[in-house]
Amino acid sequence: MPGPLARLVGTRLALGSVTLAVVSALVFWATEVLPGNAAYAVLGHNASPAEVRSLEIQLHLNRGIIDQYGSWAGGLLTGHLGTSLADGVSVWSLVEPRLVNSAVLAVVSGLIGSVLAVLLGVAAAARKDSRLDDGMSGVALAITALPEFVVAIALVILLSTVIWHLFPGVSVLTPGTYPWDAPSLLVLPVASLVIIIVPYIFRMTRAAMIEALESEYCEMARLKGVPRRRLLLWHALPNALPPIVQVIALTFLYLAGGIVIVENAFAYPGIGQGLVNAVSARDIPVIQVIVLSLAAFYVVVNIVADVIVLLLSPHRRVAR
Amino acid sequence: MTHDDHSRPRSDIGRARDGIDGFSRRDMLRAGLLGGGALFAAAPLLAGCGSGGSGGGSGGSGGGPVSKPKRGGTLRIGMTSGGSEDTLDALVWATNIDGLRVFQLYNSLTALDKNAQPQLSLAQEMTPNKDATEWTVRLRSGITFHDGKPLTADDVIFTYQLVSNPKAPLTGAVLLSPVDVAGIRKLDSLTLRIPCHTPYASFYEAQACYQFFIVPVGYDKTKPVGTGPFKYESFTPAQQSTFVRNENYWQAGLPYLDRVVITDYADETSQINGLASGQLDLIGALTGDSIPAVQGAGGSVLVENGAAFAPFTMRMDQAPFNDIRVRQALRLVVDREQMRQLVFGGHGLIGNDLFALFDPDYDHSLPQRTADIDQARHLLKQAGHDKLSLNLVTADLGAGSIKAAQVFAQQASAAGVQVNLQQIPVSTLYGPNYLKWTFAQDIWTYYPYLPNAQEALIKGAVFNECHVDNPAYTKLFNEANATVDEAKRRELIHQMQTLEYQAEASGYIVPYFVPSIDGFTKRVHGLTPSKTSNPIGGFDLTNVWLD
Repeated sequence: MPGPLARLVGTRLALGSVTLAVVSALVFWATEVLPGNAAYAVLGHNASPAEVRSLEIQLHLNRGIIDQYGSWAGGLLTGHLGTSLADGVSVWSLVEPRLVNSAVLAVVSGLIGSVLAVLLGVAAAARKDSRLDDGMSGVALAITALPEFVVAIALVILLSTVIWHLFPGVSVLTPGTYPWDAPSLLVLPVASLVIIIVPYIFRMTRAAMIEALESEYCEMARLKGVPRRRLLLWHALPNALPPIVQVIALTFLYLAGGIVIVENAFAYPGIGQGLVNAVSARDIPVIQVIVLSLAAFYVVVNIVADVIVLLLSPHRRVAR
Repeated sequence: MTHDDHSRPRSDIGRARDGIDGFSRRDMLRAGLLGGGALFAAAPLLAGCGSGGSGGGSGGSGGGPVSKPKRGGTLRIGMTSGGSEDTLDALVWATNIDGLRVFQLYNSLTALDKNAQPQLSLAQEMTPNKDATEWTVRLRSGITFHDGKPLTADDVIFTYQLVSNPKAPLTGAVLLSPVDVAGIRKLDSLTLRIPCHTPYASFYEAQACYQFFIVPVGYDKTKPVGTGPFKYESFTPAQQSTFVRNENYWQAGLPYLDRVVITDYADETSQINGLASGQLDLIGALTGDSIPAVQGAGGSVLVENGAAFAPFTMRMDQAPFNDIRVRQALRLVVDREQMRQLVFGGHGLIGNDLFALFDPDYDHSLPQRTADIDQARHLLKQAGHDKLSLNLVTADLGAGSIKAAQVFAQQASAAGVQVNLQQIPVSTLYGPNYLKWTFAQDIWTYYPYLPNAQEALIKGAVFNECHVDNPAYTKLFNEANATVDEAKRRELIHQMQTLEYQAEASGYIVPYFVPSIDGFTKRVHGLTPSKTSNPIGGFDLTNVWLD
């Protein structure tokens, strides 16, 4: 592997770690700014002030914020993520199933969506300005304008509750099981996310392909009589890939956050729901782990995307 | 027979029978109940149900012909209000979904029946002495906990010690404060003598206030054991809990279901989708807006008009509410019928600025207050407020609270009062500033009168959100709690309510009581409505069965 690339990855990782440290401090501070704390959240408003005080002491919430942050960070460095303030179990046991659930949903949707979108984009570019191309572009534009929950609700009405009763309308997993134990629960959430992400990748693919197809080397290939399919997939697509990879990376980043609304619409026990619960319970250790996981995901996806783009673009790799 | 006769005898077999028959659980404390309760009355089955009263069923559009209940089956319930703070703890629970779980696992000495009347439950007899300074409690014999251990007086003492632990007082500590817990004596394995620091005639009602579920000596909330109709099977906070039939339940032949699965749902839309796609049998705590959706999905709806109250709270120690004329005027700007129509689509009951609507001592002779804008303007003018501008702190407490605040602002403008809505998150309203807002909203679960007053309107009361400090009212309260004679006590309570009604001893505006709405599929039978406003029939699944 060429030196510049390794150096780039190393620098990015170092900067990423700094980012994560800053994020963790910000989360702590932000949670502190929110009114109330875990004791209020756990006890609900039927609790007397004396009861709240007593729980605050049990949870060590009466210590200063710096002190709390220090012991949390110290624990993290020694490999302890801490215990949930809301119910006393280890944070990892709460977060791990949700991370897995969300990862499955995001990866399955992301892969299906990317492949589908790239194929559609290539097809549209190949028939530029045809009726098919116009139609697909129009539909893509229309879907882009739809909020996530509208797509989700429309699918539920269409495929679950009102028109046809084909798939479960909510995706509640039995605790202790994972999505692959009940794949039918994934159908509608995945379909929603695919519908949401395809237009972006499709439009980028189409544009990049059209640009590549109009380039001089494609012109030359065409003149040389290269078959159409080979021209598309062998000559044009590789050169169109860098922007497509970038938009796919952006899509995965979007999925890490935007998945929340779809998870919520289907009551899917993912990271988004976990974060919402943790924030409403002011459960700082859980909030930290979830936010840091998401932030780490952002950092890693960005690095991976940059590396792939560099590998795909020899001229940039050497231009440095 | 008057309600009074009926509801306070604290001993005698007839009462015990009522307790059994009409037994239901009420639930949550003042917690966030979204609409509460009515179960649908698919079938007032069994001779069992109707003790105290009309059996209630204003209910369901569904519900087939009355037929014989069937044993068995798994009931799948979807409820909102849960989160990572979900709990199975009998003595520290807060939300609708907690209430639903806790009511399956545990019983208390007394419990509110479907008509919101306190009835004996685990206790077979509760008798005060002449001045209500000492209670004798005898437990039913032959009751066992889920682990097979018999229920004894020691368990009651243990529970009270847990609740009143001075180092870590639990929610019930307030209502238990008149009791001398350290002085409780065990007369035999089933009988207790309970002394009180101050007279406590309402001890019987207080035990029905959802804060005193009896747990066994050595109770471990991670392996919850109670005497209730269902036993703990599994629990994952924010996701799901499962329960199986208690085959040794002390109400013979009940419950009918083999298993209950309670799943956390984030919102009403997913609840309804779960019902419509056949993943759920029963959903609770819905708003009126969901009624057409449930019916459109082939489900039935049970609307029940319970008496949980959702007041506007005016701080009596701060301007402008320290002037009684302002409090009176603001009560007069409310067109209660219009508010009920706009907020609940016509469901729910109208309030008269008093709570405990179904208490036998509730004073129904006080005239129903109606909107009187002229009088309101007059009072405000007298108080020196030709123009008045107020900030009302509102939050989505469920039960249409925000809509109610908007309607209130609109109605108040007719009297020249400008109400600015300050909408904040629920967790902020109930955060450290709770009980300190000048003008806000709250929501209470149904309590009998005296326990509710004890928590809300007595100087120093734990939830005295209006900052009431009325010596005459407190004196009457103390007298009432020292009065065992029912007629005399009713007279004292009526005097207390008159002071509230005149806004002397209350900063509440109670325009309506919160109805409860549940939805269910045609498979579900035996849900009966509860006047507590607690959803899922007052959290009572004992008589529910499936086709």
